[in-house]
Amino acid sequence: MTLPLDGIRVLDLAQVYAGPTCTRILSDVGADVIKLEGLKRMDITRNFVMPENNGKNDYWNRAGYFLLRNGGKKSLTLDFSDPEAVELVKRLVPYADIVAESFTPRVMAKFGLDYESLKAIKPDVIMISLSGYGQTGPWRDFTAYGMGLEPASGISSVTGYRGGPPLRTGISFTDPYSGVVGAGAVLAALHYRRRTGKGQYIDLSEHESAIPVAGYAIMEYVLTGRMPERIGNRSEWYAPQGVYRCRGEDNWIAITVRNDAEWEAFCHAAGHSEWENGRFGDVLGRFKYHDELDELISSWTREQDHIEAMHLLQKAGVIAAAVLNPKQVLMDPHLRERGAFDMIDQPDVGVRPVARQLGAKFSAFEPDSARPAPKLGEHNREVLQGMLGLSDEELARLEEQKVIGDTPEGAVPLDVMRMFVQWPTTTFQQMGTIAGLDADYREQLGIDGNGNEKAK
Amino acid sequence: MPDSALADTRVIDLSQGIAGPYCTRLLADLGAEVIKVEPPEGDYARRLGPFPNDVPHHDRGGLFLHLNANKKSVTLDLETTSGRVVLRKLLANADVLVESEPPGVMASRELGFEQLREEFPQLVYCSVTPFGQTGPYASFKGNSLAAMALSGLMYITGDPDEEPRAMTGAGQHIDVSMLEALGCADEYNTTTYAYLGAIRKRFYSRHSIPTYPSEIFPCRDGSIVVIGGATGFPLMMAVLIERPELESNPLFQNLWLRFMQWEKFEEILRPYLAEQDWEDLLTRAQELRIPFAAVLDARTLLENEHLRERGFFAEIEHPELGKVPIAAYPFKMSETALLVGRSPLLGEHSHEVLGEVGYEAEDQLVLRERGVT
Repeated sequence: MTLPLDGIRVLDLAQVYAGPTCTRILSDVGADVIKLEGLKRMDITRNFVMPENNGKNDYWNRAGYFLLRNGGKKSLTLDFSDPEAVELVKRLVPYADIVAESFTPRVMAKFGLDYESLKAIKPDVIMISLSGYGQTGPWRDFTAYGMGLEPASGISSVTGYRGGPPLRTGISFTDPYSGVVGAGAVLAALHYRRRTGKGQYIDLSEHESAIPVAGYAIMEYVLTGRMPERIGNRSEWYAPQGVYRCRGEDNWIAITVRNDAEWEAFCHAAGHSEWENGRFGDVLGRFKYHDELDELISSWTREQDHIEAMHLLQKAGVIAAAVLNPKQVLMDPHLRERGAFDMIDQPDVGVRPVARQLGAKFSAFEPDSARPAPKLGEHNREVLQGMLGLSDEELARLEEQKVIGDTPEGAVPLDVMRMFVQWPTTTFQQMGTIAGLDADYREQLGIDGNGNEKAK
Repeated sequence: MPDSALADTRVIDLSQGIAGPYCTRLLADLGAEVIKVEPPEGDYARRLGPFPNDVPHHDRGGLFLHLNANKKSVTLDLETTSGRVVLRKLLANADVLVESEPPGVMASRELGFEQLREEFPQLVYCSVTPFGQTGPYASFKGNSLAAMALSGLMYITGDPDEEPRAMTGAGQHIDVSMLEALGCADEYNTTTYAYLGAIRKRFYSRHSIPTYPSEIFPCRDGSIVVIGGATGFPLMMAVLIERPELESNPLFQNLWLRFMQWEKFEEILRPYLAEQDWEDLLTRAQELRIPFAAVLDARTLLENEHLRERGFFAEIEHPELGKVPIAAYPFKMSETALLVGRSPLLGEHSHEVLGEVGYEAEDQLVLRERGVT
């Protein structure tokens, strides 16, 4: 099958979340992505979420977090602190169409791998830097995490309970978002290169790529001088809107009613035609008495199953969606039918469902996303010998000198590291950060089998 | 002016609201000619405000401006056969069509992908909907709140005892599902179940990979994001809060203990932060390479020195709104121009665009008087 980026090669120096999402999307649509990691600086997410919570042996090759964003890539270990490794990177540049990196701005220049240097080696190279705050400006050298960039982008200022403090989402939200934006920027640059033969440099600030998400709040201040307030799950435009408690332990449903017809439909479906008229009978009343309306709606939803209520209300033409927990997301019939999860057979892990990173389906091709993540250094020989022609002796010497390898070098001894990668899950459950712990989760997911027992 | 990356690309944009129009706004910033085809009453986002002085006006909406900068506007009633005839003329010169109708609506107008592919084999036809074109929820009504609910993102956002929180945000057919677009925002939620059998729950929106703290705390003049980071602990954090003796405190040494006894850790941290100003904390933390971050809002974003030096907000001149700052493009490109411009007035380019595909002035008058444009 032909894919849009067949024949395009990416040197991927990016780590953690945003950059790897960008290059993962390019990989899914056909690019050959070679991920570079240092033996002393492997991608830190190789430490996150172990199968069966077991950090044994080469745990860095089995992390679930790493699989999501690095499936389908090749792994080459080259440590930039070694001048010989930098020279090898430079020798790889002529074979690359795209170079992606996500360090703070000083790093690439320090190693002589900035855009001007790469351009001197390969004039039409496209380089993208995904950094926290961009390559210029007073905050350029700030170290940045997605957990900080979401509040810095203005999104948290309009997220939160009414009257409460600003709130983050429960993930590093700006990371995947700027990764997707970055993939779009690279595709535009490739389009331009096809037309003109010219490469270029893309300076993506993860901070700036996320600010447009807060566009309404910014324009409200610009046009009215008012500072937008946090309004919980309510809407600027529609009432009632909220997330209402349903039957059971921690079940909820999100409901939005946009107009009189939908309100009528809601009241009929809920069996409360008496709410249709009177003070809630028109748009103004529903805005004005939103608090009381929430009480009434909750009194109904509390008796309902959240999934059944979603179907009941949707059938009546009302926007309603069950709040799914991560397990329910994996089991969801719609997502399953749409193929939103690839079943990936990860060596030494077994088959696991992995959320597709590219939320689009294409009529002309199927993205090549169902591939395992590479083991650390798995493609050292393929790349260094196959592409650069290094001899067996040279490879052996590089391995001897720890320039390349398949085992991370770190200050933290491996047995200590294992303590960190194994989560105290029962404590988490007592704390309430974990809502449930299913010993039989593999049966539930339908992935049980010998494949899962390959782990040593 | 230098060439733009997508200067050779023409997009017919039938999408309304937020998701589709932001897609085409990005294409327009990159230099594509985006012709926004609106119903005669306009994209419904023109009604959504915010408006100067809170007086609604279809050409003065702030959200509309934000989402539709750099586009052209043509009005066309696609419910009518005559309107669809005009659209087909526009499609003959187009590379991309973007639409956001509920599945089936375009086909009912004889404008579905299958109905157009023979006549316009070059056309990339992109549909942006809440849940996609297929599957059991395809006919569901949806918005971003619903997509966040079904994606699992909402379940892990907010306080554990409160309700979950949403966040306020050769041709072929591309079927984009807002729900599945959040697949890449599944940081490690489904993975935690697929690898451990553990169901992650919201816990003050805290990361459960124990990078605690990585959250917003109050300080003297506002808020600050306190992030320990991979290398910030323990010495640097102790130095930052001017208590180097805490370096040997188990809460500073052991990340699991800190995560599990977070209330004890906050007893140390909060009183100190309450006496500090955010900019000072941010500067000092970053000097120690601890990745603290600011909590910015609409005003402080617009006043931010870093963004100003980067030229992130651009001032545009709008005939109805005057000079207005808007968020410009989200990345910079060294060789190709990114455009800064305003949103179009309703139907502003009808005359120009219809003229280009051969409609004489008198024909345009007929179309206008019959309510087709």
